[in-house]
Amino acid sequence: MSRNLVEMIRRHHAVAGPTALEVLKAAVDDHGELTDEDRKRAAELSGLPEAAVYGVSTFYDDLLMPRGERHVRVCTGTACFAATDDAHVDAIREGLGLELGTKRADGSVSLAETVCLGFCHSSPAIRDGDVIDAGADAVARVLAGASIAAAEPEWRSLFSEPVMTRPGDWSGLARALSELGDERLLAEVEEAKVRGRGGAGFPAGTKWRFTRAAKGDEKFIVANGDEGDPGSYVDKYLMERNPNLVLEGLALAGFAVGATHGFVLTRSEYPLSKPALDAAIEQAHADGWLGEDIQGSGFSFDITIVEGAGSYVVGEETALLACLQGLRGTVSARPPFPAERGVFGRPTVVNNTETLANMPFVARHGAQAYAALSPDTETNGSKLVCFNERFTSPTVVEVPFGMTVRELCEEVAGGLRDGRSIKAVQIGGPLAGILPASRLDTRFDFDALAAEGCMVGHGSILAFDDQTDMRHVATHLLHFGADESCGKCFPCRIGLRRAHDMFAGDVPVPREKLEQLLEALELGSLCAHGSGMPAPMRSLLAHYSDELGLA
Amino acid sequence: MSVDRFDRTVTTTCGYCGVGCRLDAHVNGGRIQSISPALDGPANEGHTCLKGRFAHQFTRSRDRLTSPLIREGDHFRVASWDEALQRIVSELTRIKDQYGPDAIAGLASSRATNEDCYAMQRLIRAAIGTNNIDNCSRVCHSPTSFALRKSFGLSGATGSFTDIDHADVAVLIGVNPTQGHPVVGARIKQAALRGCKLVTIDPRRIELADYGVLHLSPRPGTNAAVALGLAHVVRRDGLTDPAFISERTEGYETAEELIDSYTPEAVQEITGIPAADLERAAHIYGEAGAASILWGLGVTEHKYGSEVVQLLCNLAMMSGNVGKPGAALLPLRGQNNVQGSSDMGALPDTYTAYRRVDHEETAQLFEEAWGVPLSRKVGYKIPEMFDAAIAGDLKAMYIFGEDIAQTDPDTAHVVKAMESLEFVVCQEIFENETTKHADVVLPASAFLEKDGTFINAERRFQLVEAAIDPPGGARTDFDIITTVSRMLGHEMGWETAWDALDEISRLTPHYRGVSKERIGRGGAQWPMHPDGSDSPTLYDTVFDNPTGKGQFAVLPYKAPGDAADNEFPLILVTGRVLQHYNAGTMTRRTHNIDIVDRDWLEVHPDDAARLWVSDGDKVSVRSRVGQTELFAKVTERIAPGHVFTSFHFPEARTNLLIGQSADVNTSCPEYKVVAVDVRPMSEQPAFTPSLETVS
Amino acid sequence: MITVTVDGQPVQVPEGATILTAAKQAGSWVPTLCFDERQAPFGACRVCLVGVQGAPKPLPACTTPCRDGMEIDTHDETSRRVATAVVELVLSELPEAPAAHTELAEVADRLEVGPDVRWPGVVHSTEHDFRHPYLAFQHELCISCGRCVRACDEVQGAFALTAVGRGFEANVTAGLGSGFTDSTCVSCGACADSCPTDAITEIRLLDGNGVGRLPLTEEHRPRLKRRLPLKDNTER
Repeated sequence: MSRNLVEMIRRHHAVAGPTALEVLKAAVDDHGELTDEDRKRAAELSGLPEAAVYGVSTFYDDLLMPRGERHVRVCTGTACFAATDDAHVDAIREGLGLELGTKRADGSVSLAETVCLGFCHSSPAIRDGDVIDAGADAVARVLAGASIAAAEPEWRSLFSEPVMTRPGDWSGLARALSELGDERLLAEVEEAKVRGRGGAGFPAGTKWRFTRAAKGDEKFIVANGDEGDPGSYVDKYLMERNPNLVLEGLALAGFAVGATHGFVLTRSEYPLSKPALDAAIEQAHADGWLGEDIQGSGFSFDITIVEGAGSYVVGEETALLACLQGLRGTVSARPPFPAERGVFGRPTVVNNTETLANMPFVARHGAQAYAALSPDTETNGSKLVCFNERFTSPTVVEVPFGMTVRELCEEVAGGLRDGRSIKAVQIGGPLAGILPASRLDTRFDFDALAAEGCMVGHGSILAFDDQTDMRHVATHLLHFGADESCGKCFPCRIGLRRAHDMFAGDVPVPREKLEQLLEALELGSLCAHGSGMPAPMRSLLAHYSDELGLA
Repeated sequence: MSVDRFDRTVTTTCGYCGVGCRLDAHVNGGRIQSISPALDGPANEGHTCLKGRFAHQFTRSRDRLTSPLIREGDHFRVASWDEALQRIVSELTRIKDQYGPDAIAGLASSRATNEDCYAMQRLIRAAIGTNNIDNCSRVCHSPTSFALRKSFGLSGATGSFTDIDHADVAVLIGVNPTQGHPVVGARIKQAALRGCKLVTIDPRRIELADYGVLHLSPRPGTNAAVALGLAHVVRRDGLTDPAFISERTEGYETAEELIDSYTPEAVQEITGIPAADLERAAHIYGEAGAASILWGLGVTEHKYGSEVVQLLCNLAMMSGNVGKPGAALLPLRGQNNVQGSSDMGALPDTYTAYRRVDHEETAQLFEEAWGVPLSRKVGYKIPEMFDAAIAGDLKAMYIFGEDIAQTDPDTAHVVKAMESLEFVVCQEIFENETTKHADVVLPASAFLEKDGTFINAERRFQLVEAAIDPPGGARTDFDIITTVSRMLGHEMGWETAWDALDEISRLTPHYRGVSKERIGRGGAQWPMHPDGSDSPTLYDTVFDNPTGKGQFAVLPYKAPGDAADNEFPLILVTGRVLQHYNAGTMTRRTHNIDIVDRDWLEVHPDDAARLWVSDGDKVSVRSRVGQTELFAKVTERIAPGHVFTSFHFPEARTNLLIGQSADVNTSCPEYKVVAVDVRPMSEQPAFTPSLETVS
Repeated sequence: MITVTVDGQPVQVPEGATILTAAKQAGSWVPTLCFDERQAPFGACRVCLVGVQGAPKPLPACTTPCRDGMEIDTHDETSRRVATAVVELVLSELPEAPAAHTELAEVADRLEVGPDVRWPGVVHSTEHDFRHPYLAFQHELCISCGRCVRACDEVQGAFALTAVGRGFEANVTAGLGSGFTDSTCVSCGACADSCPTDAITEIRLLDGNGVGRLPLTEEHRPRLKRRLPLKDNTER
């Protein structure tokens, strides 16, 4: 991330300038397609050079897809793929008479692809203007011009004392401010060994400690709400259904590390997240849980919600910081880590939304109570998981670590519907390995899944049923991977495109060359996007090599 | 840049501005194919600007002078070198015999090498016998040179460009580095984005103001009041460095009373700068751990330019911002060798390193070295040469690398002087306004065609090495000057420029040990120490005055030589643009002309509205002494009441507008304050600025 | 100062120095494409991978700080294998081989990457911009190393260049996609000086000054690249 551009943004931010991305998003919302005038205005208002703004305007899907008066976005995420093998995409294209990424000459209707709308419990999903319709009949309704808003998923907890499905009530912050103090709060979080829920599983307390120790005249907390993993709607649930808990987690982080401002980066594919969080912030201000001198403690903290614009890689923390500041959402090499140089070049904690949602429990009940939640494993706390539409009961469920995947699939989610059986499950997003039905007794835990080439990730449990063509799965995942590559590092930028093209045609895929390419991706890529995409490919090669059309 | 696709690559030093970029000139078939910055260039660190990198095609321009010309009536004819040189020798000999040596004057060039300039002053002093030698730094940084010597002792920047990287605060006054000194401008911009606080002081909102913390727009000609006002607040609010003042300086007490009278309110009255802004600027400067001051011609080219430099020195001394890292006084020299041409003694009053011609010991040193008696009488400065010519006291001029009829003020006066002379030699690479008045024109060489050294704005000697040969019959300046001298009976005894450099270092303690080998790729910043080390920073322990102490100057603000009135209601300020260089002789003969093809007159929107001038209109600009035409650019960069233009295109003839007002100490012209009247061309019959004598 | 070992040779480097700095100091060659000593390390090209004792996988030399006692192997087999694969990928995206004088050609040569690449496929479409008097864009040669953008940002501070697009279609442009002349470009040429492929180059250095090679077209603005079409779209 350009230090100079960040500094320009910082200077402009000091006078309350919007980010370039915000200005561009507003312009697209207003008149459908960006003009150079919009870009010039964004440059002027944000303090960025025009060229930098142009670069931003060519990066994000939301700014690139032409929009008609009626803008239809069809979800091509993995849950929707698992439901229809992309038949819904063909149906909507044919029904509207439009290719993806085009609009009618008269400007009346446009069609675009989107990944993913977070309605994985009710696939396929289509966003028709502001309405997200989902389910088997959604295409027909959209084509009939009769879209209806799909129902949100249900949620529940397997715990009597839930961590994340209990509505946030600021009691953790209350205890931190009145009893614990910042140092003990941090000690509790360290002792609780809260591991990051975004994928890497890095201990949150260590991150907080680094940032607390870093030199800086101001510090920031960022909640990563960019839950881009197709198949996952855990963070969506938290941000939209339990926003107080997320905000409380941010405030706790701020208190522990000495920050006075927090941000949540939400996804534009989740149009309800930002309004829900904004409303919760307003209420928290009214109730005295955010703002100056919270509850007379002397601690001040405020939170800003920023919405992204359509880019999967923005879920990576350095890309997230770039997006938050209105820049191109590309990954930066670390060091410097955000703990040294994050928002506005100042020390910053970046935590996943769910990670932060664990903190009110830790603050209120302490590290030991948190550790006791998952007695059977080394991992502490609980995990939100979610299931795709193939399951009988696809909901958000809070579970302990250490259950087997089979228990989760069969007992918690009730097995597959329509008499189908599980062929494979992908847990934790597109960068995770694929677990074949034969390995469902693997425990749901960081280390156990890693041993199978899989991961906890966001906790999405996405089943492919017995009808699934695994070569299609490979093509689908590589299409996603190539399409979402930010373009910064060479192996990912070129390699994923080459891997996709190997599968996209009807020609045999030379296995040796594929494996050589996967090695370059895995060992060479800058971030988890390029280095993670080989994981599901390796699973497919290991378990379904006869279905892939290899040479 | 990979170099294997070139016949050869020669590392030399850029001949454009005073930054002194080291360049790799890549040559194919005897022509410059490309230029790239030398990665190890100490001043440019692998970077350069479009002039250094691209503007080299002029070297093979079709209108390069490639053979000597001799005037015949109202035109020139091609002549052989023999004939041209014989003519010069016979005419100079005749005039010297008839009127005495003081009837002859020479001009050296800040564009040329140290060795060229040294040879030129030796030609005038030893072969002719007069101190009538000057160079074009007269019209740019002579006030800087004068003032730095008065305050601190040595005529040069107190530090180096690296100080910019270490400064907490940098004050830029009367300088626009991103246009005039692009590589230093880029460095300042990066420093500012890293956190160095910039305070910019200029009637125009320069680009770097956008990266700074505060911009002050004083009325042109009121810099002295600004400097005094800053000193006032620094003193009033206890931001001085008392230990530095008492241990390192003299005369602070005498300045206190004066400083006390320049309250921010009083300064606001004079300069138009809001008192609160001035106070803020003083606090930013005074509270810095290390603060540097950079200035340019916006400080010097004024009636009291040298005094303003002394007042800036006062400010630095008061706050202890001299002689330590990040705390430098850095005059940004305009031409590539402004520093060197004066260091080499191409001045009417001094030999090398500013040793006076009337100092007996010095004069004897040179008499002994050169084997001829030398005059102790101080010679004419450039403006005095013109006056003397018109008065009939000066009869001949040998002008080397300077287009005085284009670049010196009050063009009509200059032309009259030229017309009054009996004999004029111009040594040039192109015909220009001045060669029109020459009797003999000699084809000389550009920086890419010669050997020698330049001294950049950091006092750094750097090597200049020929990448290509001069075209056609053109010769190097060094060759021409030494030949003329030989024919006049004074053999300088040098084979190459490096021999001249050896003589310079032998006769000048400050340059002791400087040689081609010592300079190498890293350069050498004078003064040299006995152990062979050089001086990136001056005055870390003592100043170079007789007492070893910095000298406070007691100089009140005085009004500039010109002021707006009812007839001439706007103040004209002049300056450079990035793409062109001075009179444009070189850059206009490159594709830079495709990027900027004219001089623009910048007018504030309020003035434009009042004058019925629209963006792009052709306007007439009239001053008390002349008139010209320019195209208007309506912009908020310039403050209301002021107009700005560059001076790169001969058609614009901006110097027709400039009068005789000049710096009181050095005669540097007051280019920067000219009252003018601006009108749309449609309001009066078209008027083409021309003089009877100019075709 | 800390001590590290590069290919068996101990070298002392300042705290915070990168592996690449140490390797250079030791005189060991490490291939690079996105590195320019005038700019901050970027970490995009991934060809500077080296082996480090105890590290689970190759590490990029340009962005990894040295730790005291680190044992660095610039000839590490896995690192070289990956670097070679990456250079092959880079060559596969260009419609023609890079000119012999370019850094890319030099790196490919030293890694012995020939013209036949393992993963051929779609190449960048040819787009030239020849309007500036000195500087030419040859967009199809851009490998998105970011050196030109950073030269403009970190060295000149003109901020006239930007990366555009994403994924395989990433490229570089000036201003609002409008070329050098309609941008804040100050023509310093630092971009061309740094470019490892001649995607930005000095016109005078092209054969015949580029005449014929760089056709002037009406529309110079590079096409905006959007998403990779879904499989069935491609087939239609």
